[in-house]
This record gives sequence, structure tokens and C-alpha cells, in this order.
Amino acid sequence: MKKRKKLIITAAAALIFLAGIAGSLWIWLAPHGQTVEILQDDKVLYTIDLTGQEDRIIQVEYEGRTNTVQIQNGRIRVLEADCPDHTCVRMGWLDSAAPIVCLPNHLVIRFTGLHETVDEAL
Amino acid sequence: MKRSVALLLAICLAMGMAACSRSPRQNTEGPAEAFTRDFFAMNTYISLTAYGEEADTALEQAQERIQELEGLWSVTDENSDIFRINQNSGQSVTVSGETARIVSFALEMAEKTDGALEPTIYPVLAAWGFTTEEHRIPAQEEIDGLLKSVGYRRVSLEGNTVQVEPGMMLDLGAVGKGYASDEAADLLREAGVRSALLDLGGNILLIGSRPDGTPWRLGLRNPFEDGNLGILTASDCAVVTSGSYENYFIGEDGVTYGHILDPVTGHPVRNDLASVTIVAEEGKLCDALSTSLYVMGAEGAEEYWRGHSGFEMILVTQDGQVLITEGLEGQFTLDADMEMRVISR
Repeated sequence: MKKRKKLIITAAAALIFLAGIAGSLWIWLAPHGQTVEILQDDKVLYTIDLTGQEDRIIQVEYEGRTNTVQIQNGRIRVLEADCPDHTCVRMGWLDSAAPIVCLPNHLVIRFTGLHETVDEAL
Repeated sequence: MKRSVALLLAICLAMGMAACSRSPRQNTEGPAEAFTRDFFAMNTYISLTAYGEEADTALEQAQERIQELEGLWSVTDENSDIFRINQNSGQSVTVSGETARIVSFALEMAEKTDGALEPTIYPVLAAWGFTTEEHRIPAQEEIDGLLKSVGYRRVSLEGNTVQVEPGMMLDLGAVGKGYASDEAADLLREAGVRSALLDLGGNILLIGSRPDGTPWRLGLRNPFEDGNLGILTASDCAVVTSGSYENYFIGEDGVTYGHILDPVTGHPVRNDLASVTIVAEEGKLCDALSTSLYVMGAEGAEEYWRGHSGFEMILVTQDGQVLITEGLEGQFTLDADMEMRVISR
């Protein structure tokens, strides 16, 4: 009986240990850079994990002007904007550490956690 | 026996949990806490990141400093030194020491680059609508007329007194962000920060290395398509890229007009270069050279590099070549499907 109890405890300990290792590996190997933030000035308006995210449109207002943000097939971009220069639209899909910025509308879309591979893009 | 089993269980639990915890930014001395400040200033988006105990307060000071410099150098702020110089063209205007120093630097770089950097091009830039984002194609007579008010040699600087000729306008847009990044970095270093990445709208300044001691990794944008051209690894330096692939407009004639003007023609630069990246110790030099070497074209840029020390560069040509100076060999990994050539002295 004692032997059996010892075996169960040892097995439980081994399981906990293996679960820890597996969890650790999962964290290390999980794809990074898929979570994005949409900010206006210093305020985070949305934090979105693009992995498995349904296609959708988000309208962001700033002083009566609008940026239309599109999420499609796990990617994000500014589809349309009321700003005068449309640089944010021309920046296309967010694909690097360089954020999509709409200066007139104080809008920023950026990845959180790309730091493992690229610290910044220019 | 019970005790030994409990001990085994405790060890396993501890090991399992330790394996789960993860701090990506640890150095050999322990974890280095990251602090970030993001804000809009100098007509761009600024993101400052620094590591260590001193970083939080130092970043606050750095942000204040950048905003203070913006207040001195803004072309549109009625209280700025530059606004007063431009409003009082034809008269001497006394400015702050910082403004006198950056004007001196801008004039020195204009001279060194034979006018490729032109701190008085603003009226022509405004005519194209790049200052208001209401783009238009000015008539040639209008450009010719405005070019008469362009010429850095007609700016006089004596001590803290600046004077431009009547009708002229001074604009520090091509050096201001680089200069501000140097000032911010000085503050951080003085506060004891040993690891920081300052991004002033693509003007990058690196203090030290990453907190784990490895060099920073910078992605250089591909000027022709989405994604990175390649990765530059660097420490303790500034990196600035210029190109017209983001800030441009397409005219009614279907032609693409970029925001960097050739001071000789008054028209947007259209030469064999798609982008210029400069790597040097100081941000202000990178800022000034990235613009002026872009104006010069590939041959002019190569010639300038051979004649001057203190910087390295990566040129991307319109026909898809990447030209990299020898000092950066080994620091740049090309990801895009392009041909790379090393330029030697």
C-alpha cells in the first residue's frame, strides 16, 4: 500500500514537472507579434490578438474625422481615412515593428511583442 | 519516507514553475525593467524605450526636452525662435543657444553637401502642399519665383543672432529630429541609462545594446513593397533612413511626387535612389546626410562617403540594388530578393 502511494505521488510530481516544461516550451515557441494595439495619443483603444480573429472593420474617430481600420485574414491595416495625406492608408498591412501612424488623427497601430526578432523598423 | 516524497514533490513543483516563468529582457545582472514613452511631437510619432531603474524619470526628462526643442524650432508655433526669424526676415533676431547651435549645424551641413541639404527650401515645400498635406503641382513660374528666396548662404548667424533675407524662410525639418534625439540621449546617459532605443519617427538612436548585451536589431523597410529589406544589427549609434516611398502624392498627371525636394530644381527628387540609410554616432549627422545624400543620387552619395569619414550607409537603388559601405559589412543581413554590393574606400 505504502509502495503504491509513493508511486502515485512520484507520478504526480513527474506530471507537474513535465507540465511545467511543456508550458514553458509552449510560451517560448508560440508565435509572437500577433497581438496589436490601436492607440490614440497615449490611450490604448483596442488590444487585439490577430490569430484567429474574425474579419471586421473598426471605425476610430478623432475630432470629427475617421480612420477605418480593417482586420482581414489575420492582418490589420487602415483601409480608409479622412486625414488629408493618407500616408496611413499607403503604409498597407502592418507587417513589421514600424507602426502604422496617422499623424493628423493621432492614431497608431502597432504590434506588441515583436522584440524577440526586431526591435524597431525604419 | 514521507518527508523524502514531499521534498521530491516540492523540487519538481519549483522546477516546473521556474521553467514556466519567462522574462525576455534579462541581462546577466538580473532583470532590466523596460519603460516606454510614446507621444506626438515634432510632427511625428515618437517612441522612447529605456531599461533600468533610472529609466522612468530620465524618459520623462527626455520627453520634456524634445517638446521644449519643438517649441523652439517649430515653423508654425508663433512663440518659436524659427517663427520669429521667419516673421522678421530682413532683421536680426536673437535666439536661444540651442537654436543658434542647430542653425550653425544646418548651415555647416548645407555647405559640406554643396546645398543638397537646404534649410531654406520651406516656401517651395509649402507650394507643393507638403507642409499642409494639401498637395498640388505648382506652375514652373511659381517654383522659379520661390527659388529666388532659397539659398542657405544668405542666412547669417553671429553668436545667438540670426538673420534671413526678406522673404526667406528657415526650416530645421531635415535636422531637428536627429538633433533632438542626440539631446534626449545625452539626458538619458547622464541619468545612468545604459540601454535605450529612441525612435523619433524613424530617426533611431541606440544607447548601448539590448539589455541582454546583444546588439539591437533594426528592420530596414523595403522601399518597393511591404516588409523588411533586411536586418541591421547595431549598438551605440544613430540610424536614419530617407526616401520618398511613404510621404508622397500622385498628381492629376499620374506622376508620383515625393516629399524630398531637389533644391536646384525645386521639384521632388527623382533619381536612381529609392532610399538612403545612414549610420553614425550622432542622430543629427544621420538626419542631415540621409536627406542630402538622397538628393545627390547614388554616384554623388558614394563620392561623398569616400570624401568624408564618420558615417556608413546603405543605399537602395531604383533598379533594386543594395549598396552597403564596407563598415557595415557583417552587420546587415539582406532578406529581400535583391543584389547586394559592398562599397569600399
